[in-house]
Amino acid sequence: MSSQHIKSINELVKLQKDLLSRRQEYKARVLICATGCRALGAQGVAAKFRERLQSLSLDKQVHVVETGCIGMCARAPVVLVEPYEYLYGGVSEEDIDEIISTTIQNGKAVERLAVVQDGKPVPRIKDIDFYKKQNRLVLENCGRIDPRRIEDAIERGAYLSTVQAITRKKPQQIIDEVTESGLRGRGGAGFPTGVKWNFCRKSEGEEKYLICNADEGDPGAFMDRALLEGDPHRVIEGMIVAAYAIGVCRGFIYVRAEYPIAVEHINIALEQARALGLLGDDIAGSGFGFDIEVRMGAGAFVCGEETALIASLEGERGMPNTRPPFPAQKGYLGKPTNINNVETFANVPLVMKHGVDWYKQRGTEKSKGTKIFALAGRVNSTGLVEVPMGATLREIVFDIGGGIPKGRKFKAAQMGGPSGGCIPAQYLDSEIDYDSVQQIGAIMGSGGLVVMDENTCMVDVARYFLEFVQSESCGKCTPCRVGTKKMLQMLQAISRGEAKVEDLDYLEHLAEHVKEASLCGLGQTAPNPVLSTLRHFREEYVEHIVLKTCRAAVCEGLVRASCQHACPAGVNVPEYLALAAEGKLNEAANLIRRRNPFISVCGRVCDHPCEQRCRRSEIDRPLAIRALKRYIADNMDDYETLMARRVEEPAEVAIVGSGPAGLSCAYFLAIMQRSSVIFEAQPIPGGMLALGIPEFRLPKETLQREIDFILSHGVELRIKSRIENVKKLIDKGFKAVFVATGAQFGKGIDIEGIELDGVFDALELLRERALGKGRNCEGKTVVVLGGGNVAVDAARSVVRLGAKKVTILYRRTRQEMPAYEEEIEEAIQEGIEVITLGIPKRILSKNGSVSGIEFIRAELGKAEADGRRRPVPVEGSESVIECDMVIPAIGQVASTEAVKYSGGPELTDWGTIKVDPVSYSTTVGEIFSGGDCVSGPSSVIEAIASGQKAAVHIDRLLGGTGELPGDVGFSFVKPDDETLEKAPPRAEEKIIALDKRKRGFAEVVLGLDREQAVGEAQRCFRCDLEK
Amino acid sequence: MDLIQEDSLSLEPLGEILESIPNAGNCDLIPILQKIQSVYGYLPPNVLMAVSDRTGIAASRIYGVATFYEQFHLEPHGRHTIRCCRGTACHVKGGRDIIRAIRKILGVEEGETTKDMLFTFETVACLGTCFLGPVMMVNNDYYGHLAPNKVKDILERYG
Repeated sequence: MSSQHIKSINELVKLQKDLLSRRQEYKARVLICATGCRALGAQGVAAKFRERLQSLSLDKQVHVVETGCIGMCARAPVVLVEPYEYLYGGVSEEDIDEIISTTIQNGKAVERLAVVQDGKPVPRIKDIDFYKKQNRLVLENCGRIDPRRIEDAIERGAYLSTVQAITRKKPQQIIDEVTESGLRGRGGAGFPTGVKWNFCRKSEGEEKYLICNADEGDPGAFMDRALLEGDPHRVIEGMIVAAYAIGVCRGFIYVRAEYPIAVEHINIALEQARALGLLGDDIAGSGFGFDIEVRMGAGAFVCGEETALIASLEGERGMPNTRPPFPAQKGYLGKPTNINNVETFANVPLVMKHGVDWYKQRGTEKSKGTKIFALAGRVNSTGLVEVPMGATLREIVFDIGGGIPKGRKFKAAQMGGPSGGCIPAQYLDSEIDYDSVQQIGAIMGSGGLVVMDENTCMVDVARYFLEFVQSESCGKCTPCRVGTKKMLQMLQAISRGEAKVEDLDYLEHLAEHVKEASLCGLGQTAPNPVLSTLRHFREEYVEHIVLKTCRAAVCEGLVRASCQHACPAGVNVPEYLALAAEGKLNEAANLIRRRNPFISVCGRVCDHPCEQRCRRSEIDRPLAIRALKRYIADNMDDYETLMARRVEEPAEVAIVGSGPAGLSCAYFLAIMQRSSVIFEAQPIPGGMLALGIPEFRLPKETLQREIDFILSHGVELRIKSRIENVKKLIDKGFKAVFVATGAQFGKGIDIEGIELDGVFDALELLRERALGKGRNCEGKTVVVLGGGNVAVDAARSVVRLGAKKVTILYRRTRQEMPAYEEEIEEAIQEGIEVITLGIPKRILSKNGSVSGIEFIRAELGKAEADGRRRPVPVEGSESVIECDMVIPAIGQVASTEAVKYSGGPELTDWGTIKVDPVSYSTTVGEIFSGGDCVSGPSSVIEAIASGQKAAVHIDRLLGGTGELPGDVGFSFVKPDDETLEKAPPRAEEKIIALDKRKRGFAEVVLGLDREQAVGEAQRCFRCDLEK
Repeated sequence: MDLIQEDSLSLEPLGEILESIPNAGNCDLIPILQKIQSVYGYLPPNVLMAVSDRTGIAASRIYGVATFYEQFHLEPHGRHTIRCCRGTACHVKGGRDIIRAIRKILGVEEGETTKDMLFTFETVACLGTCFLGPVMMVNNDYYGHLAPNKVKDILERYG
């Protein structure tokens, strides 16, 4: 390009035309992101592309362009091929030949490199969900031009509207336009840009300065970096317009030293702009002179604050100063200075080019335009996203971001970095703009949006941000310097379980003070993450303190191994897996039984919270812990060994209910040498294990063997012994009572026709079958209402009892069904139809019996307080399923009759028995309670854990130490790195053939074989040995 | 980035730096220090005193600035700088395990230099490449999508 100096707008227009005509000689352009994607080899891909094209003599027809961020960073290295608009991800040097032959030479897409949606490849960029809902306006050039060539930018219209503005408009006119457009500062605070410019313009003095704040320090934010690296001229243009409007001739771009590519690209851009006469004295012949100097930060987050930044520019320690005076009055070297963020400047050319009315079309009433977000964290499509103000978090995270990977659930989105807050699921449908976000307790911030799932600990998040802010605090003012330190210390104590509940109030109190009294934005916003997590996730703080539990299994001070921590009974998972891998099955079984006697049962029906926290899932898939437990139970030969000597003394403790909670309590009491009597109302023991879980999931003999093992410790069981009133047991001389009566009766549903002949409660149906009085369902058409395990168990039982057609009707979505995924899959294989988003309306009758059920279809509406989206009935979409049996399986009621006497234990608002969360004692001293009658319908392992913990505290109440047998130090064996890396994929249990499943109640799942089990167990990282 | 040995510290490079910034005043202090560090590898105290002599900027002020900013080192630095990101997005994706792995392999804590002066290990609050998390830089090379078992191979490429 000749070194011409543009002297008028016409010359610029002509230059653009010339460049465009020359470009049309290319048949295709291969655009490769060479900024962020550089980290995964993009430059090598670009070089190899050029080499190959040259060797094929195609280099004159195909232009390889190294561009800025194309946006879909999750698929780096990203390549975009024009004119086909094919987007390829994960491109390596080995893919180049195929791209050349298939796309360049034949115009077809390379499907294996395309983005996959709903199982199908989507090669065209405009069809990709990630891009569909975006409004890439400020980012329109990023990914389409070589940022190191000003010609590319000019071809796309760069500098035209800027030169027009500075030659044809008056400065005040420009300020009025920018004000009218509603553009607000994109750095985070959202101050109206035009108003800010006006302040500076109106300040006294000729010598004024302009600063672009490119010190993007928020962890998780990379919008400004992408703009500077990918489209630097846009930023320069914004600065020229601002400088002209305000009356400034010297500007600075203050950019972080940690952004070497941005520094490089902006320097090249400035040089090239100067060479063309678009920067410097007399820009494009307008008579207006303005130049920009680049200054690099030196690694201080606080220098993102405008007065600290100015101090840094003046060669001082980057410490903020009080405002007023504001930089607009007294800034750099005491002169009026206007500072704006990179993205703010990048918006200005849009206003100049398209006008105010166009710009105001996008956004909400008080927040106009678009916002660029850096979507990162636990979301499928991480990358750079530009949406209009007013988009919802759901649109950004789910529609654009593709939702949460690994089938996990959204927990919160962090907005605004260390100055911001966490937004929980219930606000997913709120429109995001400057003001609405503040109301939820967060701030828009610069645009960093970090998504968190259920494996993120919110206490850890607050602690993390405070650590950051503490180390970045400049130290000038006491509230920030000392206040953040103190808050950090408190958070560290909480995450180690070493705090008190009262500390939370003090923490909040202190946070408010630090907010109010700090000198600058750093200190004023540092408490935000703490305050917002306390506001929305207070239970997690309390759990850390009172229960010493980190529900995400993250906090190192509390968690030995995340699987063990997630297990309510605290079973030492890593060690028993290691023992199993070595073939020491009896030892493995005994280790488990130190915390949980039900190995066979849990190995079949546990909902495995351990697997949901397994660290292996970060690499591939979690360990199949439940399946391994079952393998141990089925293959060990140690059912006779007693944990300790059999207890012979007269019973001191009465246990009401022989479900998993009651039996576990008795077992652990026996281990601690306390004898007990279990009173069971039904003719067989086991509670829900026997009466609620069908045999094809848990065979009778398997369950009985485990119950016998417990009883063999000297526990007395009295069946058919209903306890009407627990007080009588105390009167009889029992020193303590554990009430574990469960929640064995259905809630029912209040709809027309519920009293008809042919309506059977699911739990009653299951119970009858277990007691040998299975209802004959031969030839019946059945509809089961509900989506939990009880509903699925009832449906599958009814199939085996002869039903002709079975349908499950659930009001929410498939993903929200509480039943285990494997169970639902097996049910569908067995011919059961699952209808979701269907709300039952009424049961129809014929001659007093059920003839059908009418339901209305629903759509998912907005998120409610619990974060779930409300199913909204769709008008006029009623439908009828003809049937002769309706089985409601909706909810279970806690059985609390035995404690309903005057002076008896208090109940909670939900009708369950109120207990202390640590000791499980009720409001009456010697009466303890656990299992479903306390928690409401919950899992087997929760019930077992409650029995275990109550036993410990009952022992202490009766004068013992409440010590369970030691469960650590049985195996230090850890697979070597090679074994861990070459591990087979997660083992899958075999299941019996389909035809065998629909006739009779034989166990469906067959368990792992030896080879599978050993291979699976050797996938364990032994996280417990990491410390 | 060249590493000049302590005992042969020449003030010649400093002379060139100061010549490139005519009439160097207070406002130029940070760029001057940045240039010194890029040539010398760190900020040698005698070089800083020479800056004060030649520019008139108070030595106390220079010291104040040099100790405030994370980037400046007053002690010799390793030949290669590892900057491991400890930003939010990386943190949420297991950044801590990477930091732990580096510590274990090199035997140094954050901010320290290995005995053979090969590596200086730093952590940075955010490298701005969050979509690649967990990320680390070695000099100007980025390494993304890290897992603890990949760190050793990467570091071995540097000597």
